[in-house]
Amino acid sequence: MAAFFDLYGFLCIMILQQALLGYSLYFPLMAGQLSLASIGFYSLGGYVAAIMGTHPAFEAWRATLGWLMIPLEWLAALLLSVVLAVAVGLPALRLRGIYLALATIAFVQVLNVVVLNMPIAGGAVGIFGIPQAFESRFAYIWFFGPLLLLTILFTLRLERSAAGRNFMAVREDELAAGAMGVRTTANKVLAFVIGCALAGVVGAMSAPFLNTWNARQGTFDAGVACLAYVLIGGSRSKWGPLLGAALLVALPEVLRPLKDSRLILNGMVLVLACVYMPRGIAGLFAGRRA
Amino acid sequence: MSRMLSVLALVLSLAVPALAENVASPIPIGFAVAQTTNVALFGQEQVNGAKIAEEYLNSLGGVNGTPIRMVYQDTGGDEAGAVNAFQNLITQGKVVGIIGPTLSQQAFAANPIADRAKVPVVGPSNTAKGIPQIGEYVGRISAPMTVVAPNSLKKALALNPKIKNVAVLFAQNDAFSASETGIFQEAIKGLGLNIVTIQRFQTTDTDFTTQVTAVLGENVDLVVISGLAADSGNLVKQLRQLGYTGIIVGGNGLNSPNMFPVCGALCQDILVAQAYSPEAAAEVNRVFVEKFTAAYKKGPAQFSAQAFAAVQVIVEALKKVEATAKKKITAMELTEVRTALNKALRTGSYVTPLGEISMNAEGEVEQKDFYVSQIKMDADGKSGKFTLLPR
Amino acid sequence: MTLAWFLQNLLNGLSMGSVYAIFALGYTLVFSILGIINFAHGAVFTLGAYLTYLLSVGQFGINGLLAGWQLPFTLPFPLALLAGAGLSGLAGMAVERLAFKPLRARQADALLALVSSLGVALILVNLIQYLFGAEIYSYPSDVLGSLPPAFIFKVGGKPVAVRTVQIVLFVVSLVMLAALAWFIHGTKAGKALRATAENQDTASLLGINVDAFILGTFFVSGLLGGLSGTLIGVSFGLSGPYFGVAYGLKALAVIVLGGLGSIPGAVLGGLVIGLGEAFLPPDLSSYKEAVAYALLFVILLVRPQGLLGGTTEQKV
Repeated sequence: MAAFFDLYGFLCIMILQQALLGYSLYFPLMAGQLSLASIGFYSLGGYVAAIMGTHPAFEAWRATLGWLMIPLEWLAALLLSVVLAVAVGLPALRLRGIYLALATIAFVQVLNVVVLNMPIAGGAVGIFGIPQAFESRFAYIWFFGPLLLLTILFTLRLERSAAGRNFMAVREDELAAGAMGVRTTANKVLAFVIGCALAGVVGAMSAPFLNTWNARQGTFDAGVACLAYVLIGGSRSKWGPLLGAALLVALPEVLRPLKDSRLILNGMVLVLACVYMPRGIAGLFAGRRA
Repeated sequence: MSRMLSVLALVLSLAVPALAENVASPIPIGFAVAQTTNVALFGQEQVNGAKIAEEYLNSLGGVNGTPIRMVYQDTGGDEAGAVNAFQNLITQGKVVGIIGPTLSQQAFAANPIADRAKVPVVGPSNTAKGIPQIGEYVGRISAPMTVVAPNSLKKALALNPKIKNVAVLFAQNDAFSASETGIFQEAIKGLGLNIVTIQRFQTTDTDFTTQVTAVLGENVDLVVISGLAADSGNLVKQLRQLGYTGIIVGGNGLNSPNMFPVCGALCQDILVAQAYSPEAAAEVNRVFVEKFTAAYKKGPAQFSAQAFAAVQVIVEALKKVEATAKKKITAMELTEVRTALNKALRTGSYVTPLGEISMNAEGEVEQKDFYVSQIKMDADGKSGKFTLLPR
Repeated sequence: MTLAWFLQNLLNGLSMGSVYAIFALGYTLVFSILGIINFAHGAVFTLGAYLTYLLSVGQFGINGLLAGWQLPFTLPFPLALLAGAGLSGLAGMAVERLAFKPLRARQADALLALVSSLGVALILVNLIQYLFGAEIYSYPSDVLGSLPPAFIFKVGGKPVAVRTVQIVLFVVSLVMLAALAWFIHGTKAGKALRATAENQDTASLLGINVDAFILGTFFVSGLLGGLSGTLIGVSFGLSGPYFGVAYGLKALAVIVLGGLGSIPGAVLGGLVIGLGEAFLPPDLSSYKEAVAYALLFVILLVRPQGLLGGTTEQKV
């Protein structure tokens, strides 16, 4: 058992962390909105934590606050993400379907270039030597585990709440929902902001986890990977992002013996999963029950 | 709360102590670089160098008669991949030490893992500042370029003493290029020259007409480029095709035979700052170049030479470990060898294809020789070589 | 701001813009008929460049599974270009059969096609890397015959320079565009294609073999992709199996900017972005990568259907 955790402990945490990013896309999808903005907020949140954790300007804060600095970083990332998400979401959510997805991709690309040009973000090298919260990487389960638990509980509550039902009404038929008095724009923006805020906090937790942060964290590939978690896991199930992340994050490691051809097989699994599990992994279980 | 967390963390991290086990024979040495993703261009050059090293050093008897075995693990291009590869080498590969990863950013994420497990790491291509400071078990043999940049500028001035106006171009998304350009810019100002324009590009760029237009718009007589081979090759090609005739100085990223296919005959006469020259005089370099060329039908890149040097340094340090312990590596416990190897790496110096190098107590490399070469292309414009300029 | 400066940037912008445009055409064709973005298009583009290289030069490099191999024959470049493009067309058809048709047949969530096409892209790119290695390949410099590498002329005493490949790229894009426009608006097959794009069920009732037309569209899209991949490869070299990715992403911006599914829109979008990048002031070169996406974001907010997009309800 100990040997397993030595080898795969980091991977397990990665699965939780990536699942959380999956959930950050799941919320907008609940309201029928295909957004790929999460990875940008993830990157931003990481920079907030990295800067607050290493920049000399925060030295006095760190000295006085001690470990309290870490939740403060989360809070700062959360607030910044909410503000930016509202600013981006209000105009962008007038767009539908693939247009919204591409607008959010565009937003992330612009953000990456801007960050690369900000001296405080450390340029191409980025920021490194971020103060560690724990000795062992596996101990970061105390960051991502509770957050994932909270997120799942929140999703459960949300599904049963009025807000959640509004989200789903917008997803099923936006016009009808509007006619029935659901404030569609407000609901779409709310779903978007929840997702972005989550991504921001995950980023803030990830900067110490990876010990380094740079503009390569917010790539398009990483952004689409998050979408793949949700879709392969099952976009209509609250367990989808977790199941999808578990499969897709573990896959390259399972295929490690194949060396430099492992990504070919990884691609094949993606295609086969889409074809044979059109309702995602979660759909397999649901199907049996139905 | 904090105490509770750390107690819990401690409980969790208290793995059952590994059973005492000896080092396997042949002696496993980890090699974790990017064999997939778009970083693989460099990763595969590193693997090529390591393969030559493995074969050659084993033909010389390995570590006093015990052969070595390179264990390759792909890191991909990201941080998480590097961490996974390191974990794998440490726990499954049972390696005595790790060479890797390719990128500095990956090193910041993965090296602490090895440091915590007390497994020595030798960085073959990490040049960012702060790498050796990651921990006691982290070192590198790839020098950050501080000395050589000004040298190449002096060579340019020797070729054309009338140089006044300089254009500086660099790949802003490449860690090495972005820091190297700072050194270049300081040196240019130090020589009393004017920087008339600074142009930025991305390593993924292919079209440089915007940057070239800006350069041609000023009265530039020296162009200084910090980038990687593919982008810089295209940049040089477009500069020349669109009419720039002055001298071009390239940073260390241009020290790669990968330049040749991209800019072809137009690569001619670029001055390149080098941390490695295939023409360097050391005997081990002559053998390395010969074996590499025989195996791959082309000369070695700096990445290959650095990978070779990293393997060589570890093998020679292992010999020192045997000498000190007065027993075979394979008769020693793995944990003991790892610690002893880390110490041995930092003592004495090594004559490698890079010239004489050593690692100081912190793990930072001290490299004696840097070079400035000029690219000379063959008549067909397909291949060429870096011709060493006299110092 | 002199006339020469203006002309120079105009030329740069037009030639780069036309590259973006021909890349984007492949996306747009598939989108117009299926309403889906084919993320594997960038990989087919890359594949085309490698195939033409292989057919015309015949020599593998030093890495990859086929290191050191040599093809028993080589073709003259124009023939290799056509053969490479044709093979890319076949690859496009394979993409349809692997990633799209099974999902249509199972009436799966349209979003899944994004992931399955991404999976095919992953397969293609890594297969190229596995076989060819990650190293840089490059066409011989005489591939375009004995044309001079560049034309330099003077305007108002200032030099204006344009690379020959830039002109070739621009002209070929125009030709491809004209051919495509003729095919869609001037032929019977094109008419059927438009009917299919309008409504698949109606088209099928009219006796059009919808499945065959979808397959045909993917062939044309792959052909265009392979052709433009080769042209860009000739211009800039093949800097590894990922060289199509950066274009792929920017081409997404191009098609949305111009209006999804609109062929003139793809061209307009390409030119707007190409010119936007060319006319960026030299001091702001560090923001060049952001130009396309910033333009896209702004235009979408003002005109959500893109510059030339229709106002009909969009499919995902």
